[in-house]
Amino acid sequence: MSSKKSIALLIALIVMCVPALWAGGAQESSESDAGEKVKVDIFQFKVEFKDQFTQLAEEYMKENPNVDLSIKTVGGGDDYGAALRSRFASGEEPAIFNVGGPQDVADWKQYLAPLNELDVTEKAFDGVLGGVTMEGKVYGLPYNQEGYGLIYNKAMFEKAGIDPAGITSYTKLEAAVKKLDSMKGELGIEAVFAFPAKETWVTGLHLSNAVLSQEFDNVNDAFNAKTVEYKYSEGFKKLVDLQNDYSVQPTLSLDYSRQVEQLFSGEKVALIQQGNWAYGSIAGVNEELASNIGFIPLSVEGGIGDRIPVGVPMYWGVNKQLDAEVVEAAKNFLNWMYTSETGKQYVLEEFKFIPAYKGYDVSKVSDPLARDILDFSARGKTLPWVFMGYPTGWGQNVLGVDIQKYVADKMSWDELTAHTTEEWEKARQ
Amino acid sequence: MQESIKRRLLFWAFVGPLVFAFFVVVVVPFLWGIYYSFTEWNGIVRSQVEWVGLQNYIDLFEDEQFIYSFWFTARFAVVSVILINGIGFALALLVTQPLRTSHALRTVFFMPNLIGGLILGFVWQFIFIQVFSSLADLLNLEFFRGWLATPETGFWGLVILMTWQMAGYTMVIYIAALQSIPSDLLEAAEIDGSTLWSKTRHIIIPLVAPAFTINMFLMLSNSFKLYDQNLSLTNGGPFNSTQMLAMNIYNTAFQFDEMGSAQAKAVIFFLVVAVVSIIQVRMNKKREVEY
Repeated sequence: MSSKKSIALLIALIVMCVPALWAGGAQESSESDAGEKVKVDIFQFKVEFKDQFTQLAEEYMKENPNVDLSIKTVGGGDDYGAALRSRFASGEEPAIFNVGGPQDVADWKQYLAPLNELDVTEKAFDGVLGGVTMEGKVYGLPYNQEGYGLIYNKAMFEKAGIDPAGITSYTKLEAAVKKLDSMKGELGIEAVFAFPAKETWVTGLHLSNAVLSQEFDNVNDAFNAKTVEYKYSEGFKKLVDLQNDYSVQPTLSLDYSRQVEQLFSGEKVALIQQGNWAYGSIAGVNEELASNIGFIPLSVEGGIGDRIPVGVPMYWGVNKQLDAEVVEAAKNFLNWMYTSETGKQYVLEEFKFIPAYKGYDVSKVSDPLARDILDFSARGKTLPWVFMGYPTGWGQNVLGVDIQKYVADKMSWDELTAHTTEEWEKARQ
Repeated sequence: MQESIKRRLLFWAFVGPLVFAFFVVVVVPFLWGIYYSFTEWNGIVRSQVEWVGLQNYIDLFEDEQFIYSFWFTARFAVVSVILINGIGFALALLVTQPLRTSHALRTVFFMPNLIGGLILGFVWQFIFIQVFSSLADLLNLEFFRGWLATPETGFWGLVILMTWQMAGYTMVIYIAALQSIPSDLLEAAEIDGSTLWSKTRHIIIPLVAPAFTINMFLMLSNSFKLYDQNLSLTNGGPFNSTQMLAMNIYNTAFQFDEMGSAQAKAVIFFLVVAVVSIIQVRMNKKREVEY
């Protein structure tokens, strides 16, 4: 009897030890490598370019065999912030991570290394470093530039006889929308827009930015503002109403996937408010359409009507709390990515980024949305991205939610501006 | 002496590792969390952790969204528990009849439970939004239009999803209980001339009472803690009207970066679920009948 028990106990103990030995073994092998190489852990958010980025990292490692780059990607949005905090809390601090703007820089200040001395920092375009510069020190490097507006179907506009270049004010935009609406049958569309009221980042961050960037000069202005005036409140309301009233219904359950991949790519709508990042999704569904699209502005009534918001979605930051050689290697990699020939080729042709730095042959930019953005930039017809300067959570969870209430007739526009202003002021006390 | 020491050692050799794991993974974070609920912190390791005492607890009683989520979750829990148990019990009764297909039926009814909550939410989201609106166009019935775009359809969408997923689970527990009722009791009752309804009410239900206790407890605490399906079906929308408690706490922590507030909410959440569960189990235990 007791010998059976002892055997059972012995087996149980052995079984329990196996996972411990296994894990310990795995760690040992990577530690023995780390003895020779400098290990740079990258923790980033851009899912769309993960595969190409890994390839680039391999190219770098070929040229620099003493560096070991390891990339972990966590899907963007709120998840990245939470995951990043967890990483730091678990003690596995990454060498390179992402920050979005002034709030992130303030939060992570004690971890961010200043990057002023790097070559790539000098090559950055004017204005792109504003959101990550504090007291003269630059704490982040832009991934790329992105822009958004109303993506339109060129073929449909031609058929309807609308000249996209002529849409330079809200009145003209409204007229074009009404014309498209009257020709629904001939164009074969369900409605003019696909308004994703469910996606609070589209309404609360991007749409609001088209209006509020005419009130705040730049992201730091927004970050330091104690209140929001809503100078173009009517214009804002009209853009929401226009997109919502002429959209496929119901808009409260319309999400990004339905908007871009199903309705726009399926040519069931003529216009969607989105950015150049949507190019990949559209091309994946309808390649022919993807080569025949462009941007028209989100014209604000009473304000600027012919510009599209162009800005930096995310920045690379370097963790200064790690060993000096890891920090050095991290800075080198980022510098190499944006200034070396291999790096630049990847940035333009593999990642399909719009570069935020000088020294690129932009004629190589291939997709029509990116070309349109470069065109607007070249003509000086851009607005800044200021939403990274909103109070934490305000854009999506206060304004975005209130816009949903407004669309559902649960809130009037005046109540919306009053409530969101109150929440902004509360957060900025 | 030797024997009893040996027994103790053996006991701790088996139970020890589990107790240790439980302590480290459950007890320590729980106590640590209670500490954080008295602070203000944004979640970054070396950031300032400021002691604010009971301020978080005072604030959460004024947090409209938290209170709304609380009542929404409570309503959802009550409705779900009733529906899931009702349908589960009915299915169990059906499936314990001498039918040829009863074994196949048991498998079929249990299968929804095997699908993970997150995927299920996305599948049902597709059904409610796209399939329903196609049905609405085909049959010209307004009832099928606009699901998940209003608070009411969001609520019922969640209820339908949970009932579909969990009815099979409760059914399995009820089957076990039903099968443990001695058949001579039922035969004796029939001989004495009792009807189906009377049998069910006076014999079956009292003897199945322990299963009711278990199922109600499981479903109640499950419904209160729901997150995956909430996230994938509605994401709390529209305008946070279908945001349940767990999601409210997660959002406070990770969208607003208010770790202290979220912890305080979580502590209250724990107390509520614990109290409700204890009361429910106590009440049900009293009604259980031993044969």
